Amino acid sequence: MADFLHMGGYGAYVWSSMGIVFFLLLLEPLLLVMQRKSIIKDIKRIKRMEQRTKSHNK
Amino acid sequence: MKINWFKYAAPMNFYSLSGKLIPLFWVAAIALTLIGLYLGFFTTPNELGNGMKEYYKIIYVHVATVWMAMWLYGMMVFWALIGLIFNTRLSYMMASATAITGTLMTFAGLVTGAIWGKTSWGTWWDWDPRMTTYLILFFVYIGYISLQASIDDTRRSDKASAFLSVVGLAIVPVIYYSINCPDPDQCASLHQESSFKGVESNILKGMLITTLGFWMYSFAVIMMRTRNVILKREQKTSWVSKLKEVS
Repeated sequence: MADFLHMGGYGAYVWSSMGIVFFLLLLEPLLLVMQRKSIIKDIKRIKRMEQRTKSHNK
Repeated sequence: MKINWFKYAAPMNFYSLSGKLIPLFWVAAIALTLIGLYLGFFTTPNELGNGMKEYYKIIYVHVATVWMAMWLYGMMVFWALIGLIFNTRLSYMMASATAITGTLMTFAGLVTGAIWGKTSWGTWWDWDPRMTTYLILFFVYIGYISLQASIDDTRRSDKASAFLSVVGLAIVPVIYYSINCPDPDQCASLHQESSFKGVESNILKGMLITTLGFWMYSFAVIMMRTRNVILKREQKTSWVSKLKEVS
């Protein structure tokens, strides 16, 4: 296991490459989920506001 | 069975179809990437015949991200062209959703390439044709995103950035020929040619399967982003207000 992590002395290079790539590949969908939540929140808020104005105008 | 493709050009239909497909792409992406990396790390030699030491294992993520950077550019131009020809809103949304994932892949390719360069050539960066043209691809992506963000009117920004992406397509064959130079005497390059010849079969399998995993990943995130763009742009339509998630 230690040998595997050591990568013949190049562990820092190999694992930092993997780390950076997979960090980005996890970050992207995470940000998208957060963006989706915030868009849905906005739509709901606007919908509520519209309903309130409608009932107010009645 | 005849499929009516134009049906899915309507954002509403695409929204519901992609909602079902995204989990499948995620499963495929995770499974293929794990299999590819397993083959690449556990079934291959520690040192290659040409003197490359274990650092060559960066290849699995480097090649996958660099390939995706170029293919996604092609895909972005494809959607941009469909948008320009048929004037379909969804195609423009797909093009802009592809751009960000493409930029991310290009960036990851640059960083992993620099790390690999440090181990094998002793330098993080060299202005050799391959790296320079690839850096230009990164700037073209950034240009596309900036142009789109700088125009408020959606239709105009979609069209303008679509034209820019088509013009920028010129860089892709330049990148390809900068590495597979027709006359090696004319263009000296630190970067080795991208050839499958003589590559050990498990290394090749690891590389290809990981790349396939990255393709599936790209489909999943591009669909997720397109759905966000649809929700944002169509939020005033009645079909959006009837969606389960916003009620």
